[in-house]
Amino acid sequence: MNSLFKNIVIGLTAVRANLTRVILTSLGLTIGIFTVSIVTAGVSSIDKEFDKAMEYYGNDKVYVGTWPWSFDFDWWKYRNRPKIDEDSLAYISQYSTYITDVSIKKNTWTKATFGNKSSWLQLNGVYPNYDEMLSGTKIVNGRFFSQNEWDLQRRVVIVGGTVRDGFFDGQDPIGKKIRLNNVTFEIIGELKEQGFGMVPGGSLDNLVIMPSTTFKRILTRWGFDELVLKTKPEDIVKAKEEVGLIMRVARKLKPEQDDNFAVNSADAYQTQFDTLKIAIAGMGFLVTGISLVVSAIGIMNVMFVSVRERTKEIGLRKAMGATNNNILIQFLSEAVAISIIGGSTGIILVKLITVILSSYLPVEFNLLLIFYTFMVCVFIGITAGMIPARTAANLNPIDALRHE
Amino acid sequence: MPKSKKEIIAIDSISKIYHLGDNVVKALDEVSISIYENDFISIMGPSGSGKSTLMNIIGCLDVPTKGVYKFNNELISEMNDSQLANIRNEKIGFVFQTFNLLPKLNSLQNVEVPLIYSSLGRKKRIERSEEALSIVGLSDRMTHKPNELSGGQRQRVAIARALVNKPSIILADEPTGNLDSKSGIEILKFFDELHKAGNTLIIVTHEESVAKRAKRRVELFDGKIVVDE
Repeated sequence: MNSLFKNIVIGLTAVRANLTRVILTSLGLTIGIFTVSIVTAGVSSIDKEFDKAMEYYGNDKVYVGTWPWSFDFDWWKYRNRPKIDEDSLAYISQYSTYITDVSIKKNTWTKATFGNKSSWLQLNGVYPNYDEMLSGTKIVNGRFFSQNEWDLQRRVVIVGGTVRDGFFDGQDPIGKKIRLNNVTFEIIGELKEQGFGMVPGGSLDNLVIMPSTTFKRILTRWGFDELVLKTKPEDIVKAKEEVGLIMRVARKLKPEQDDNFAVNSADAYQTQFDTLKIAIAGMGFLVTGISLVVSAIGIMNVMFVSVRERTKEIGLRKAMGATNNNILIQFLSEAVAISIIGGSTGIILVKLITVILSSYLPVEFNLLLIFYTFMVCVFIGITAGMIPARTAANLNPIDALRHE
Repeated sequence: MPKSKKEIIAIDSISKIYHLGDNVVKALDEVSISIYENDFISIMGPSGSGKSTLMNIIGCLDVPTKGVYKFNNELISEMNDSQLANIRNEKIGFVFQTFNLLPKLNSLQNVEVPLIYSSLGRKKRIERSEEALSIVGLSDRMTHKPNELSGGQRQRVAIARALVNKPSIILADEPTGNLDSKSGIEILKFFDELHKAGNTLIIVTHEESVAKRAKRRVELFDGKIVVDE
């Protein structure tokens, strides 16, 4: 153990003596480690975003709309579908065995103003029981609107998490009056802030919820409707199937006719997120793989140069009693040191980037990453250094001493 | 030589044969020699006579093709690489014509090199290295790098390095070959002192003046010992 340590020290001394060369060589590994870290961070961020989306849409909810939740739009087919209307809800509540709760969700975007501030917000018109159906976005301040307010089409709203900062400079928005589409509404509740999200439809916080009756009567007739149906998470597949059948009955479709509606759920995003994840990871790992191989070759090359330069030293050390293993360890530790220098630089860069970007992008810096990087560097160093180090170790001392 | 002295090296009819293409070169041909404690031997001979080969074999840098080589009754001719390295480390001190000091290390670190491959601890290593440097009179040059030293001083550092393991024999290959005559004489005087102090010395040389200082003279020609007196 002691002798191992001494030979490692000799190897490290050589690194210090050729610092410029070492740093240039390790640059390839820096890039490799940097890419792999960013990719890993990116993928884990996508995972987190996906979880957030799942929380927002809920793993216990079925959404019925005209458009399926996917990227492969068949625009002409979907745009001519009949609008979703509230009549279908009656069928679903009556016939479904899996759906426990239903609500309409009217969607539109509108301009909101308070004093001299204005902003575009997403507007939802829903039933009073939507309160219980909110999954991730709970009310944290104030209250939801009541059945009575819904019946009377009262102008009350529940606002998303960004409204407080955007309009009221961080002050309590409850009781304040806000103008939506030039109609004055009273804020009665506030939702939990969700933060930046990759959820389709934009941020989860730029949101206003109001009674669907108010939405329809006072605000606008524009926008599109969706049915929000609640079930148990374990029943989601069966519930979707059943809702599809009930919708066909409600729409009075003949057996040969295609569905003219779409039954969606949050897991539809799973495939999309997975595709994105695979694309990012695939590209990243390709780049990383190439740069790691190239940097390993670079390290190997520099190690061959190092062995050649120090052939006489190797001969001398052998004459002084160094065994083949002593020499092997000396050169291996030199190679590993080069690759660890490269890897550490990469990690430091990643850390810097995540610190700089943390306010814009959801990038995660993982402590485990440092450990993995270290292991990868040791592996690359040993792999790249093995052949040159063996060459050095197996040198004949007499020839090596004669080398000029 | 009085036979009562302890025999360190017993070489019995060793040969070293090289194959260069179709040519068979006998660098050493059935050579036998015994070396005793406190011997001071010079090995002479023209180039190609096999003196370097003999030196390498005695120094355990090379193994003979044929024959038996015993060092302190240990059979060297059948040892593997790491056993040979061990013998070199513990029993043999080398002094080279070109000094072969490591340019990036200072005198003390250069002297320490053989000890690094022994089992000694750091404190003990430095102690021993300082001691060896003081024997060669360079206590005041311990932190100097080789390029800050004169040729004679470099060779003295190299001798200190050869001494530091308290070896059974010291092998010097043309130790004065790269020195001016004044430094050369200085080094040779130093070898006399080492001999008087009880060390066993073998010097390979082709200079008559160097050989004269030795107490025993061995001459090689065409791979055979022709003089041993």
